Amino acid sequence: MIAENTQTQMRKGILEYCVLLVISRGEIYASDIISELKSARLLVVEGTLYPLLTRLKNNGLLAYNWVESTSGPPRKYYVLTEEGTAILGQLDNTWNELAYAIDTSRKGAKMNDSIKINLDKKSDL
Amino acid sequence: MKKTLNINIGNSIIHLEEDAYELLKGYLNEVKQHFSKNADDFEIVTDIENRIAELFAEMLQVQQKQVIGVEDVQAMMLQMGSVSDFENSEADESTVEDYVAAAGYDQVKKLYRDTDQAMIAGVCAGFGHYLDLDIRWVRVLALLSFLLGGSGVVAYLVMWIVIPKAESRAEKMAMYGETPNLKGFANSHLNPLFRQSRGFIAELMVFLGNIFQKSSRFVFKAIAAAIVIFGSMLLLFLIGCLAAFMGFWDASIYSYFPLSIVNEDYMVSLTIAVFLSFAVPLLALILFSIRVVFNTRAVHKMLSFGLLVVWLGALVVGIFFIAKISSEFKESAEFTQVVPVTDKIEYYLTVDRSRFFTKADSLQYSIDPANYKGRKILNEMNGPFAQPRNVKLRIEKSEKMQASLSQNYFAKGKTFEQALKAAQRTHYDFVQKDSLLIFSPTLQILDKGNWRDQEVELVLKVPVGLNVFISKDFDRYIRGDNFWDCESDDNKQYTQWVMTEEGLKCVKEDHDHEPE
Repeated sequence: MIAENTQTQMRKGILEYCVLLVISRGEIYASDIISELKSARLLVVEGTLYPLLTRLKNNGLLAYNWVESTSGPPRKYYVLTEEGTAILGQLDNTWNELAYAIDTSRKGAKMNDSIKINLDKKSDL
Repeated sequence: MKKTLNINIGNSIIHLEEDAYELLKGYLNEVKQHFSKNADDFEIVTDIENRIAELFAEMLQVQQKQVIGVEDVQAMMLQMGSVSDFENSEADESTVEDYVAAAGYDQVKKLYRDTDQAMIAGVCAGFGHYLDLDIRWVRVLALLSFLLGGSGVVAYLVMWIVIPKAESRAEKMAMYGETPNLKGFANSHLNPLFRQSRGFIAELMVFLGNIFQKSSRFVFKAIAAAIVIFGSMLLLFLIGCLAAFMGFWDASIYSYFPLSIVNEDYMVSLTIAVFLSFAVPLLALILFSIRVVFNTRAVHKMLSFGLLVVWLGALVVGIFFIAKISSEFKESAEFTQVVPVTDKIEYYLTVDRSRFFTKADSLQYSIDPANYKGRKILNEMNGPFAQPRNVKLRIEKSEKMQASLSQNYFAKGKTFEQALKAAQRTHYDFVQKDSLLIFSPTLQILDKGNWRDQEVELVLKVPVGLNVFISKDFDRYIRGDNFWDCESDDNKQYTQWVMTEEGLKCVKEDHDHEPE
């Protein structure tokens, strides 16, 4: 149970980051976000996505445009706002730090130097 | 063949099979229930509904069909996810406990009455589910408690009232301790296969219950119909009374007793107020009964509110005028008039039910003064509108050697002057014809005056030694003496008395005298 609890917590944090990443590639429809996430093997159901999108939108990270659809009501297409882009940059950094932390924890500090160099380079950019 | 339903979801019309509709309804209700805590939730639910509509539209297009079935709804639910999935994704808003509960490890069981498997009201079945006991054993225990002192009956009734019925699908699943998600839906006890036959007693109970329900409904309706019919008649009668009191048919009605209390100025307002304070509740009762009989919807709120306002207003007006009129009985006044009585050796006292028209009568009854002379009308002594008796007679010993009649007039009023005026605005007929003294049975109130408890007390003073013959129908008016003790032959019209030093005394011996 504890294991599952932790798993869910980890997925939850990553889900938000992934959603922002998917949207950052261009204007996109909610169910297309799902299929992107599915192909990334991050299993979610659509119902989970809507509250998340609404929250991100209300926090000013996302905006949406109404686009007419052939197969039903108009669809909301989501885009990142400037603030969203900025926050995505911060999340990128955090992710790299976390990836380093995990790799380092797994293999020990010496074995992981190559990644550290990459990390330093990126933050220079 | 299956029945289909049309629904409007996300602004598009979708045809659904009936069971698919039930499933979708349950799902959407749970979604709505879940998203009902924050301001954003309406938007989220709208997004989800729009997406469901879109998914259905796609399914219909892809599968080349017209109607959404159960499997389509299930596919949609798989794609959208269940409520417990949503809960997992919102840990930052929910506490750890919520999270653990929502993770679906152990759905908290709740106590409901299971009316699907009920014998009576489903209390035992509900406890069976709650305690994970076979319902049969719970029932055996309940039956034992019913038989041992009957305390179980009371407990059962209390629980019937207190424990809610499992109505929605989610409630029923909570009753079984199942998680309300898709998996739960699929293998729920609530699937038709799980429905157990309830046996003979339960069927009988249902049957008896139906009969009782139907017959009690019939009785209620019959009572309500009776109320509607009799209430309407009573209402018509009240309207008739209102018209009568307003003087539509007989303008002289105000001079009859109960109405003659009311000042003419107040009459219209008070009549309407009294009418409304009876008619409005009656109308409300009729409207309510109509509702019961015809199962129509409630009377419009504005109408019932308006009725209440009218009723209260009528009460206030009525009480105001009644208080005002009662204040006119505060003071009382009295004056005395002495009428001489010609000396005779004996007197015959009688009541004359007929009387001559007075001038006031001629006005009151619109009789041409040229014609009324000498005509008599019978005074209505009895009947609902008779005035209270306002004539009293006492017979006393005269100190002088001469008979006399003093008339004491009483009346009430707001002030002494008004009371005195009311006492003066009266007329009493007393006529002496030789030895016959004719008394009028009532005191007349003149000029359409109001009834202010006007009374006349007559004191006839008779010298000692004189005989007095009193008409039998006079008995009601005489005060003071033991009139009833003086019995005489039923055939005789008069009882004979003699005035002594001690007062009037009955003379028992027969006499053949008749007035001349």
